[in-house]
Amino acid sequence: MPRIRPFTFWLARKKISPQAARLLFVCRDLLSAANELRWIREHVNTTPSKIPPNLRLHQLCSKRARGTPLQYLLGTQPFGDLEILCRPGVLIPRPETECYTIELAALIKRNLPKHKPLNVLDICTGTGCIALQLYASLTPHFPTHIQAIDISPVAISLAQRNLSHNIQLGNLISPPPQLTPILTPNTKSTVSFTLLSLFSPALLTTLSSHPPDVIVSNPPYISNKAFSTTTSRSVRNHEPRLALVPEHDDISLELNCQPEDVFYARILHLAKELKGCTRVILFEVADMEQAGRVVRLVERDEVLRGWYDVVEIWRDWPDEEHEDHIVKGEESNVAVAVKGIGEGRVVYLWNSRGGEMEGKR
Amino acid sequence: MSTPILPALRGVLAGASLTRNAGYQLHPALGHRLSAAAFTTTSPLPVKQMPSRPKPPPESEIEEAFLKGSGPGGQKINKTNSAVQLKHIPTGIVVKCQATRSRENNRKTARELLAAKLDELVNGDQSRNAIVGNVKKKRADSAAKKSRRKYRKLEEERKEASEAAEGPEAAEKHTEST
Repeated sequence: MPRIRPFTFWLARKKISPQAARLLFVCRDLLSAANELRWIREHVNTTPSKIPPNLRLHQLCSKRARGTPLQYLLGTQPFGDLEILCRPGVLIPRPETECYTIELAALIKRNLPKHKPLNVLDICTGTGCIALQLYASLTPHFPTHIQAIDISPVAISLAQRNLSHNIQLGNLISPPPQLTPILTPNTKSTVSFTLLSLFSPALLTTLSSHPPDVIVSNPPYISNKAFSTTTSRSVRNHEPRLALVPEHDDISLELNCQPEDVFYARILHLAKELKGCTRVILFEVADMEQAGRVVRLVERDEVLRGWYDVVEIWRDWPDEEHEDHIVKGEESNVAVAVKGIGEGRVVYLWNSRGGEMEGKR
Repeated sequence: MSTPILPALRGVLAGASLTRNAGYQLHPALGHRLSAAAFTTTSPLPVKQMPSRPKPPPESEIEEAFLKGSGPGGQKINKTNSAVQLKHIPTGIVVKCQATRSRENNRKTARELLAAKLDELVNGDQSRNAIVGNVKKKRADSAAKKSRRKYRKLEEERKEASEAAEGPEAAEKHTEST
């Protein structure tokens, strides 16, 4: 991390405000310090509070200067068309996630048959941002049934609040009240959040009656080493470790993968159990290296390799069409399309033929 | 008898209110004369319309950049920078938008900004920005003129009043002295 010049502090203090100089410790550059100060000011001026505004501004800036994420202080984060509530204990939605979710919705709209019920499973939903954004963009085109699961009770209750919050804001159409969390095929769209672990055997029995057409997941994917080295201090100290680092070493041994890839291996195992009914699988990954490892997890399995004939890696901003690359997988010698610009962010699997089940029919 | 005339009248009044919105202040006496004229002519007043908002250029001519540093992203870092920078390739115009925390919002705003800049470049004085700016300036000028006139009048009235107050006093003094 480059050192901040004293001149920059002077500039922030003299040209913007002393508060901006304090924000510089976390923002690292003048422009984003000015922006964050503006957003904090707007928040103080627009939300009622018993604390006098000047004191409140001071308090919020102090907290921010000590590393508390801005989204926890302001309580929200924009995500696509939605406003997502953020609370300590639940991972904050990232802009990269927003970008690929919008891209995924566009792809589903283009590639899957219209007006047929669409089942979507969001694993490790957190704030519910991906599930709700998909619900918002797919409901006009499909009878969409979204089921989102998470292991954290705090996350599930926040996701439910996010649903009602965005219905209240008019960003989402209210789904009909649901009695059971099971995906039920009817004409109306539904969305449900369930407290359930990916590793619990109950999940498969729930899913096998109505297998999902789309599985999307932003699981914990940071390795122990990366957590203590490349992860930023603000994230390490303030966001939940549960959402960042997978701690299922025993299962990763069983599934024969790296400890940080255990969620991907498990989801692929699940997809295999569902007999290829799932047309689209999308994973968020940490970097190109991990993306390569996930691609190899697919390629090493003959069945999965047969089903998912389109395998792509997306970078941070996949909507940037101009840069398309091809990299060769190391062992399996397979060509993988890489699209977008930035760091490797997403592994996208697409079953273009419509699955084993439909083939048998 | 008066009912068939009413729609025409209404049209004229609507026209007058529109022109007022567009910055042309109608004198109340003039408005009265216009509504009187509606009894003889049916054509409504020509409404001065603002040019429509310029359309942003096609995506193929735009180079978009998100001003984010390199290095790890995703879960490892929590960036709040949502700035969007657009470059129009044929002309080299660069616009930047970081108004809100939403990147999607900023992208839309940046495209509008770029469209306005291109419009200015192509149409010059006839661009939407120039015309709207002119109208706004006229409105501000006339408001300033009005307020100047008002305060000048008030000042004069005050002066007159004080002179009038001094007048009788002086007269009284005069009578006392005699």
